[in-house]
Amino acid sequence: MTLARYIHPRTTALAPVFGRSPWLGLESDINRLFETALGDFAAPVFEHRFPVDLYEDKDNNYVRAELPGLTRDDISLEMVEGYLTINGDRKVTDDDGKVVETISLNRSIAVPDAVVADKITAAFEHGVLTVTLPKREEAKPKKITIAVN
Amino acid sequence: MTFLQSIVPSLARPAQPAKVETDARVRPAFNLREDEHGYSLTVFLPGVPKENLEVTDHDGLLTVTGRRAWAQPKEWTALYRETSRAHFELVLRHEGDIDLEKINAELKDGRLHLLLPKAEAARPRKIAIN
Repeated sequence: MTLARYIHPRTTALAPVFGRSPWLGLESDINRLFETALGDFAAPVFEHRFPVDLYEDKDNNYVRAELPGLTRDDISLEMVEGYLTINGDRKVTDDDGKVVETISLNRSIAVPDAVVADKITAAFEHGVLTVTLPKREEAKPKKITIAVN
Repeated sequence: MTFLQSIVPSLARPAQPAKVETDARVRPAFNLREDEHGYSLTVFLPGVPKENLEVTDHDGLLTVTGRRAWAQPKEWTALYRETSRAHFELVLRHEGDIDLEKINAELKDGRLHLLLPKAEAARPRKIAIN
């Protein structure tokens, strides 16, 4: 069983306008070239690093981390001096479900100070961790109406 | 025309239907192990629930397609991003030695575990010598 690096006609960015384009073959050849050369670079790295996203809205900051294959019990969160640390243990199992290796993952994310540290909540669903960090009242955007005389 | 076709092979191919798949796909991280009984495939699909996952086998190509369920709410502003919104697609070619009826798939916390047993005919057999 091997990785199919390329399947013949799948994407046609230069879509043929009149039935088919003579460049179609050339384009897919170029695509295949890049696919073979860069294919493994484009694959997400998953051994020791995991990707993190930061979002905000007017009430909260959000941190989303992709941790596929971990369970809730494998993840722990810490908030120390403005840094949110995500710790996780990825357990590599063999076919019988026996743990053969544990890879420990951790990452610290600088969080703006204006966060209520004891009201942080986290949810884990489908391998994605979402941490909600509520903003302090004074950090929320305020609307001030100024009378013009 | 035949000379031209020999230079530009795409002219000799039958016209493809205008089926354009423009959505981006990334190949998910995966592990593949083989033993005498079959293959064990682990695919990491963060953010993909069961109903968005498709495993198909067609023409010797085993395809795992997963679509992320989460979409960024309108009020959220991205400050920093490392993940992509692209769907996952993994295509593996096999030589028809898999017993398709007995594939066992399990998706848990963003990790898909597939057990693909080899067909009886493809397993190594010891031949008795008289």
